[in-house]
Amino acid sequence: MKPLVALNTLRTRIVLGEAALVAGLVVVAAIGIGALRTVRNTVTQEVESLTAISTQSSTLITALFEQMRAAEQYLADGSLEAHNAFRSGGNAAHAIQGRLQALPDLSESDRLVVTQMEALQAEAEVLYNYAHAQLDLGRRADALAGARVAREHASELLRLVGLLSTSQSTRAEATARSLEQAATDREMLVWTVLAASILIAAAIAVALLQSVERPLARLAAAARRFGDGDLRPVALGDMPAELADLGDAMDRLGGSLRVLVNEVSEESERMATAAQDLSAISEQLAATATDVSTAMDEVSGGAHQQVSGLAESAEAAESLYAAAKDAGMVSGRAAERGADIHRLADTYGSDIGAAGNALIELGNLVQQTANQVEQLDKLSEPIYEFIDLIKQISSQTNLLALNAAIEAARAGERGIGFSVVAEEVRQLADTSAQAADQVSGTITTIRDQVTAMADTMAAGKAQARGVGSVSQGAAEALRQIVRVVQEIETESKRVAGQAEKNLTAVDRIKLALRSASEAAQSHASSSEEVAAAAEQQGASTQEMAAQAAALNRAADHLRALVKGFRA
Amino acid sequence: MGDRAFSVSRCAGKASVITLRAMVSAKERPGTPLSYAASLRTLAVLTGVGLSGCGTSSEPILIGLAGPFSQQTAQSMLLAAQLAASEINQQGGVNGRQLQLVVQDDSGMGDVAVQVARSFYDDPDIVAVVGHMNSRATLAAARVYNGGDKPVVEISPSASSPEVSDAGPYTFRVCPDDEVHGTQLADWAYRHLATRRVAVLYENDAYGRGLRATFSREFAGLGGQIVTQDPFSTVLPSFEPYLTRIRLRGGADAILFAGALEEAERMLSTINVLRLDQTILSGDGVGGIETSDVDAEGTFVSLAYVHDQPGTRNEAFTSAYQRATGGQLPDHRGAGAYDIVYLLSHVIEEVGTNRQRVRDYLSGIGTETDMFSGVTGSIGFDANGDIVGRNVVIAVVQDNRLVSAAQR
Repeated sequence: MKPLVALNTLRTRIVLGEAALVAGLVVVAAIGIGALRTVRNTVTQEVESLTAISTQSSTLITALFEQMRAAEQYLADGSLEAHNAFRSGGNAAHAIQGRLQALPDLSESDRLVVTQMEALQAEAEVLYNYAHAQLDLGRRADALAGARVAREHASELLRLVGLLSTSQSTRAEATARSLEQAATDREMLVWTVLAASILIAAAIAVALLQSVERPLARLAAAARRFGDGDLRPVALGDMPAELADLGDAMDRLGGSLRVLVNEVSEESERMATAAQDLSAISEQLAATATDVSTAMDEVSGGAHQQVSGLAESAEAAESLYAAAKDAGMVSGRAAERGADIHRLADTYGSDIGAAGNALIELGNLVQQTANQVEQLDKLSEPIYEFIDLIKQISSQTNLLALNAAIEAARAGERGIGFSVVAEEVRQLADTSAQAADQVSGTITTIRDQVTAMADTMAAGKAQARGVGSVSQGAAEALRQIVRVVQEIETESKRVAGQAEKNLTAVDRIKLALRSASEAAQSHASSSEEVAAAAEQQGASTQEMAAQAAALNRAADHLRALVKGFRA
Repeated sequence: MGDRAFSVSRCAGKASVITLRAMVSAKERPGTPLSYAASLRTLAVLTGVGLSGCGTSSEPILIGLAGPFSQQTAQSMLLAAQLAASEINQQGGVNGRQLQLVVQDDSGMGDVAVQVARSFYDDPDIVAVVGHMNSRATLAAARVYNGGDKPVVEISPSASSPEVSDAGPYTFRVCPDDEVHGTQLADWAYRHLATRRVAVLYENDAYGRGLRATFSREFAGLGGQIVTQDPFSTVLPSFEPYLTRIRLRGGADAILFAGALEEAERMLSTINVLRLDQTILSGDGVGGIETSDVDAEGTFVSLAYVHDQPGTRNEAFTSAYQRATGGQLPDHRGAGAYDIVYLLSHVIEEVGTNRQRVRDYLSGIGTETDMFSGVTGSIGFDANGDIVGRNVVIAVVQDNRLVSAAQR
């Protein structure tokens, strides 16, 4: 149920204000008209009353003066004319006094004055008449004495006449004053009511303006706050219904904006965090990829050296074939190469371990890296085979050198030099085997680490898979290298065993060496592939980093934008 | 005590509770003999209560009684009014309520009468006023009684001025006016006494001038001659020059004295000294002259009432009056006041104590209702509140008594 008159609307307030103003003016007008009417009626009444009284008073005074004059004249000349004038004047005065007494508006005091005048006039009349009688009787002295007494009454009568006149003028003045007072009072009343009306109207106008201006100012301030990004709720307070609707609309708008900004803000925070995380991971990935790449480059370089070393071994085997003493040198060099490989493998292992550590850290989120690490793990298996091969080669080389020493002892003095060479070869083979063992241990360590890393990586998220496969690739490459070295070792042993007797053995060695060389080359290319993959990984990681940076920048920008809002 | 009147406000069993009613009166006028009137008034009120006894427990009905009770001329009016009230109360009052007269002395003066009238007017318990006695007081008081929004009836027993006719709707009188007196006196003088020359001595007031005017007009109309017209008042040193001048003007058969008792006595003394033999004619203003110290034998007086006029009501009244006063005879003022008190009790019985209803009922007596039968004759009023159809009685002083001249 809506109330019949909604006081909280601007329309109602304006209408009511206007109505109050009009009502006030009507009251003022009514009072003014009433006051004027009252004053006019009073003036008319008073003026009529005063006119009647003063008319009678003045004719009375005239009659009294006429009578007294006639009385004195009769004393002077005793004429009938004076006697008649005395009598008619007296009659007229008595009649007028009667009429005066009959006037309803005569005041009590004036009435008493008129009554006293009647008595005095009667006495003066009697005394003058007495004096006239004395005069008629020829008693002039008595007449004049009587006239003196009469004159005393006459003068007292004239004093009363003056009193009556004064009373009339006093009454006129009092009337004028009371009229003035009444007019002033009513004027004051009119002014008061007018002032009250104006005050009420002004109050209504001020209230009306305030009821519009204040809510408008609050609305404007709220709008400015919204514009400045302060979206907190605004207490708009009481306001006319029309403005309250606007305020409600603004409030709803603010609420919607607040929810939106809060969501965007949270999203941007999450995005920024993700971007930062991604960026850090990308940087670490890039560093890891670089490390892997470097390591693979070195592995590749090591493989090339191995290949050339194997080629040299082949030449030495050929020289062994040609000249037994060369065989020891070749074996020694092969052992050197094994040591180099061992050293390299050691270095790679630590590098890959470092990479694995990095990958463990990153593995949760970078599946590609994890995959590459798994590949690295797989690649490390050929290294074992390579090392086994080297061990076999060194074992065979050792056996070959032992055989060579036996053959040298049989040869007598001519074989002394050869036995020295054989000893050297044998020592080389031993050294080579030891180096291979060391490499094997190192590789095992690396492999364990890589396996652990790969396990961690495998447990990580899909992003790390690429990196894991790269690592597996590298590990596989190392394993192949080791396997080839082992084959070389095996072949070396066979070469060493048959070098003296059989060219085919040397050929096989040569073949084996060639095979080893090819395997090494294959390993080298595999390493290069790993390096390339690593480089590719680095590039994609950098791209990812760049995108993460872009994402971060976007998140920052968004966050900056959202930060402008105070939700 | 002079400015207070006793009133009995309550009467239970034999115990009387007497309260004092403060009244404005002639106290303010120095030299007015009040003690006599005050004692009389007090006595009268207490007497009235004593006579009436305690027949009712309700408030008494108050009737104003105003006249110059300090003067001898007003004693009959006072006593007769109280007699009437006593009789009425003895008979059970008015509608079971006691009638009580509130007596005020107006000294016969206009200004005092106005003050008395004001006190009656302002007392809402006053139902009507018996009075005033003379024309001057009646006219002055009439302006009070007829004014404002609570006008109150005044009924004069003896105000005979023609002006009283126009004094207002609340002013009544039970006596013929001076015109009737003047006309009847002129007629009596011309026809019965066969006088042709009359000297007029008139009191210089409304009464005297009125009587002079009507007498002169009527007498001249009949063919008589007015020799002199001389005004007098208390300030007149002596009547001698006027009386002497009559002779100078050719003498007169009769002298019309239009004035009150005191000046009449003075004039009669002078006449006796001068040994003049004119017949003296006078209006009712000289009432009481029959018992005066001066020789007034043979003086003709026009009266609204003479104690020996016929009528059983009048006989009963005069007997009761004589019993109450120890053998005195009522004058026309007393008889008029007696009639007025009875008239008012009758009206109040009819319409209650509302002032306006009392007035309205009074004005209808003789027209809307029957004439009221009083000791002075039948009473009815015309539109001016004047009594209708009432002629004066010409009485003559004989052996210190006023008797009807026609019965002589």
